Amino acid sequence: MIKVENLRKEFQLGRTQQKELATKDKIAIAVDNISFECHPGRIFSLLGPNGAGKTTTMRLLSTIFKPTSGKIEIAGIDAVAHARDARRKIGFLTGSTGLYARLTPNELVKYFADLYEVSSADFKQRKEKLFTLLDMNEFQNKRIGKLSTGMKQKVSICRTMIHNPEVIVFDEPTSGLDVITAENIISLIRDCKTEGKTVIFSSHIMSEVDLLCDDMAIVHRGKLLYNGTMDDFRANQQESSLTGEFIRIIHESNAAIV
Amino acid sequence: MIFKIFSKELKDTLRDKRTLIMMIVIPVLVFPVVLNILVGMTASFEKDAAAKRVKIGFVGDTENPVISEFLNMPITLGKKDLIPYATKETLLKDVKKDSLQMGIVVPENYKAILDSMRPVLCEVYYDATDMGIKERAKNYMEYVEKATRTKRYKSMNLDENKFQVVETNYNNTASDKEMIGKLAGGFLPYIFIAFGFIGCMYPAIDLFTGEKERGTIETLLTTPVSRLQILIGKMCVVVLSGLLAATCALVGLYLSIEVLDLVENEQILTIIRGILTPGFILMLFLLLFPLTVFFAGVMIPIAVYAKSFKEAQSIITPLNIIMVLPALVGLLPGIELNIVTACIPVINVVLATKELVAGTLDTGLLLLSFGIMVALAMIAVFVSYRHFEKETNIIM
Repeated sequence: MIKVENLRKEFQLGRTQQKELATKDKIAIAVDNISFECHPGRIFSLLGPNGAGKTTTMRLLSTIFKPTSGKIEIAGIDAVAHARDARRKIGFLTGSTGLYARLTPNELVKYFADLYEVSSADFKQRKEKLFTLLDMNEFQNKRIGKLSTGMKQKVSICRTMIHNPEVIVFDEPTSGLDVITAENIISLIRDCKTEGKTVIFSSHIMSEVDLLCDDMAIVHRGKLLYNGTMDDFRANQQESSLTGEFIRIIHESNAAIV
Repeated sequence: MIFKIFSKELKDTLRDKRTLIMMIVIPVLVFPVVLNILVGMTASFEKDAAAKRVKIGFVGDTENPVISEFLNMPITLGKKDLIPYATKETLLKDVKKDSLQMGIVVPENYKAILDSMRPVLCEVYYDATDMGIKERAKNYMEYVEKATRTKRYKSMNLDENKFQVVETNYNNTASDKEMIGKLAGGFLPYIFIAFGFIGCMYPAIDLFTGEKERGTIETLLTTPVSRLQILIGKMCVVVLSGLLAATCALVGLYLSIEVLDLVENEQILTIIRGILTPGFILMLFLLLFPLTVFFAGVMIPIAVYAKSFKEAQSIITPLNIIMVLPALVGLLPGIELNIVTACIPVINVVLATKELVAGTLDTGLLLLSFGIMVALAMIAVFVSYRHFEKETNIIM
């Protein structure tokens, strides 16, 4: 389970960043007091346009960033105070995840298993299962740099799942991927749900959210605009399509700010 | 956990061709190549200089004692052609044009000067950019002066030997080891320091900026490993790479003298063999270790801050000059390890190594140099950690 309460993240802006953002503010608020919960066996989606604060939120959840204020609980662990313990429960995957090109899939997966302190017996069992499931045995000893995009994505999935995490954080996992590779990710997300894991994924593609999600939150300019179930969202939509409804909410928020 | 990160990063680094070239290939080749070129150039220069036929122009009649001694000079002093000139001006013009290597002007009234028992002032003209010509001119004129003096004593019925009142025997108290150590000992640490720096450079950029650029750092930070452990694991690889590059330079030195026989001078060979002993190498690495940690500590914050490999490279490459240039101070004569120089990073390592080669290293100054470098290395690690901990530095 993921529990987020009044989460806020501020970044100090240097002179260069102030120039780039055309602002005189010394602080940029990336996430502004957001709260939500993600439950095991359900898929939670964080939806928002580019620059909404989705990636920052995902990085806060996966403890890469420390929040300025607020609480994050991952599988019952206070992720702010005990970040390293919380990380043992998290699997993290992004669409832009890089891999070590000079290692083989075998070496890379073993390296991450070691970092997560997976026992040899568990590693052997999980690796065998994942390599077979993802059809990776054929290229397990080839250098990653020589693999195709699809093969690399399978390696990323395997790396994310090797320590059998309770909570999976997907940050725009299908971004920039071809249809077949994206399908691998979609199917992984579904499998995680079936296995009773807590899944949160960020996206700006409404159709993907519609296809997969049980719960959803919309963020824009760091603020939470909607938080509820997909069923409620569909029931209350004012536009004919979900994408149209998403755009309406964003425009309404922009108008309120102006 | 640090060891797991270290061994993975080391494996990754050793599979990078660019790093391998900078870390192993170039350091191993540098001594054989440099020594080969130097030995080849020196041998060829000495051979050419000795065999060179020199054109000497002179103003004055062939009867004068200087020119007649030139004509009688043994061929062992070098082959030469004597060309008479009517005026000093045309002779000088040809020396400047390089159609003459040497010009000699004997005064017209030389007979009167000789008769009055005064020295005949001979003007010798040469172009000093013509290597070895000054030495050749000195040898010729010393021969002429000695031969003419002997004749004068003879004409006066005097025994030349009786006029030598004081005889001086100059004795050097410094051993050959000290001489070479003090004069050339700065060159070796300069090479090791330069390669220590270059060896650190590519792994530092690859393991920090490269991870950011490739997007692998994000996944690493989501593992239950602390940032300090990640930093130390990576830093150990950077330091090891620097030390490996310095070791490869030592291997290159060994190959040059023991396998390729590039050094023939027995004295230099003895000194280099003295350097290639376990004791010396241990002391050298004792000094190089904190220096390499310091180099790594300077490079890592830059590599962490840089957004691309190119940016990191463009900042660190000029830094090479700033950091390694002080090592050249060690090549200057007269600068020695003392309380002041022992406190200046890089210079202290060069001077300490120089003293080590010469066998005159003071233990107190060695410990001071080592202590200063260790303190700087610790500061460098701390600064690296502060930069590595900063969220906006490591995530793009």
